[in-house]
Amino acid sequence: MKFHLQHFIKAVILGVFVLFFIDLHSTGTIMKYINPKYENISKLAAGIFILLFFIQLFRIFQRKGKGHHHCGPSCHHGHDHGNEQFNLSRLFSYSVMVFPIITGFAFEPAILNSTIASNKGSIFSQVNQKETSPLNETTLTDKENIDIYSSDHVPLVNNNYLSNEEYEKKLSLLEQSETIQMQDDIFGSYYEALNENPTEYVGRTIQMSGFVFKEDGFNSNQLVLSRFMITHCIADASILGILTEFEGANTLKEDTWLEIEGVLDVTNYGGYEIPVIKATGWKVIDEPTEPYVYPVLTLAE
Amino acid sequence: MSYSQKSSFNLSTIIFLLLVVGFIFFSPFFVTEEWSSLPQLNTIFLSILIEAIPFVLIGVLIAGFIQIFITEEHIKSWIPKSKVKAVFMSCIVGALFPACECGIVPIVRKLIDKGVPLYAGVGFLLTGPLINPIVILSTYMAFGNDLRMALLRMGVGFVAALAIALVISFLFKSNQLKHKEHSVTKSKVKHPPLYQRVKGMFEHSIDEFFDMSKYLIIGAFVAAGLQTFVAAQALLAFGDSVYHSTIVMMALAFFLSLCSEADAFIGASFRNLFPTTSILAFLVYGPMIDLKNTIMLLSVFKAKFVFVLFLLITTIVFLFVSLTSFL
Repeated sequence: MKFHLQHFIKAVILGVFVLFFIDLHSTGTIMKYINPKYENISKLAAGIFILLFFIQLFRIFQRKGKGHHHCGPSCHHGHDHGNEQFNLSRLFSYSVMVFPIITGFAFEPAILNSTIASNKGSIFSQVNQKETSPLNETTLTDKENIDIYSSDHVPLVNNNYLSNEEYEKKLSLLEQSETIQMQDDIFGSYYEALNENPTEYVGRTIQMSGFVFKEDGFNSNQLVLSRFMITHCIADASILGILTEFEGANTLKEDTWLEIEGVLDVTNYGGYEIPVIKATGWKVIDEPTEPYVYPVLTLAE
Repeated sequence: MSYSQKSSFNLSTIIFLLLVVGFIFFSPFFVTEEWSSLPQLNTIFLSILIEAIPFVLIGVLIAGFIQIFITEEHIKSWIPKSKVKAVFMSCIVGALFPACECGIVPIVRKLIDKGVPLYAGVGFLLTGPLINPIVILSTYMAFGNDLRMALLRMGVGFVAALAIALVISFLFKSNQLKHKEHSVTKSKVKHPPLYQRVKGMFEHSIDEFFDMSKYLIIGAFVAAGLQTFVAAQALLAFGDSVYHSTIVMMALAFFLSLCSEADAFIGASFRNLFPTTSILAFLVYGPMIDLKNTIMLLSVFKAKFVFVLFLLITTIVFLFVSLTSFL
């Protein structure tokens, strides 16, 4: 029996990865990093970590040589067996491994803000050229009515599942209801509809919440009320925002969360028609616990 | 036995330091916000990592499985003798194999280590993350249930991968792994009982995980830094012809280092800014090579080979994608 320091360090690192993943899932923090529909594959990762951790535990006190029966003394294929001399580059490599765990435990996940939004480029140049795009000839229902995740071999759970019925009902509400309510579960679909045919919705009242984002060259009464949409993880977030106008918009700082009510209109921005909300009322609200929205996935029949 | 590893590790450390120094040096030119964005950087960094780790774990488990259960003899009997056939086969196997570009690196390394010819390994490396059911479905969905983009992505990607692997087969004779000392004789000498082999498989997976993930972590960190501090619009400064925008989209694909299963949605969000050709370049190029997987490749292959592969992928993808604009 011999104590293997390298194997011990590896076991500790695997152990903290286990703790990190368990912590992410038990506190729900995982939602601030990835789309909830990838939760299951991430739980699978936690399971694999636990398994590897226990296997690694047995390697700490192993008789010399026994651990490498599959790989004799002439083994040279250069991977990290963990039983070599401890040196500086090894120390560096273990520090790299521990680094994300430390920052993960030490800092709360930030909520994406207007800085990231401005790095993503102009919102309006993204939406309003859609009509000219050759790939954009399908209807909204076509676009969303797809059952890609139900029979996939990756088990996925999406918080944002709607049955077809619910989805149709919600979509028809967009056309019929007195007030358009931009709720989280249907946000993406409504947003797309509003931007595809802004003129169709002129004069309708709308209720929406989001954070304040501003672009260069805005008037004092203009801001963009925005949400981030997460497809996979935070790194692929895209920003959805509607131009909003009311007196005193300039007094609001970026990243302030607002709930507004207003009337829809269209305006011309860079040669394209985009929807604009002429706000009739607004109030500052706290940042919601679930600040992001996710694409709608409808259930197959 | 750690000497060769030590020198290889120094190389990647130097590259990493160069990246950091370069980033700090150039940052005043495109940094859009001060260091108050660090929490955002940390969040993006961790989210790339948390998203990628399950796929890396699956990758190292498969690599461990190959190490213990697949022998050189198996591989010899599977791979066709002719280069062209072998390249074809590897691209098709890659296309059927669901993987992401970081999970596939340990698998390819293990395969080549086991005697798969380099060109076949490259074919597999290129089509594995690019063409698979999840990627096709997400592309189909991201472009509004339009099959055209998904088909173009697969078709152009497949032909480009074939071409790249074929060129590689003429350029390189040896396997280009950093650790060539691997002796073919030893692995089949003993035939331990199954439970020991399973245990060995997991132990291998652990070592592989420790080997690979530090490069993933470094790559994710640099990619997160670029997303946080560099405005996408800075890229537009390079010009607005189709060729310019194609280069811009390829650079974006490289630096963003998105997982191939998510990049279709990001690509789709650019379709109003750029022509279809450029978006296609983004979709084909990103899964083949990006920042985080280049760093991983550098840990496995000789630097010169990675450089040649990078140049080949870049030029061939650019050429093939540009050709589609004449269709």
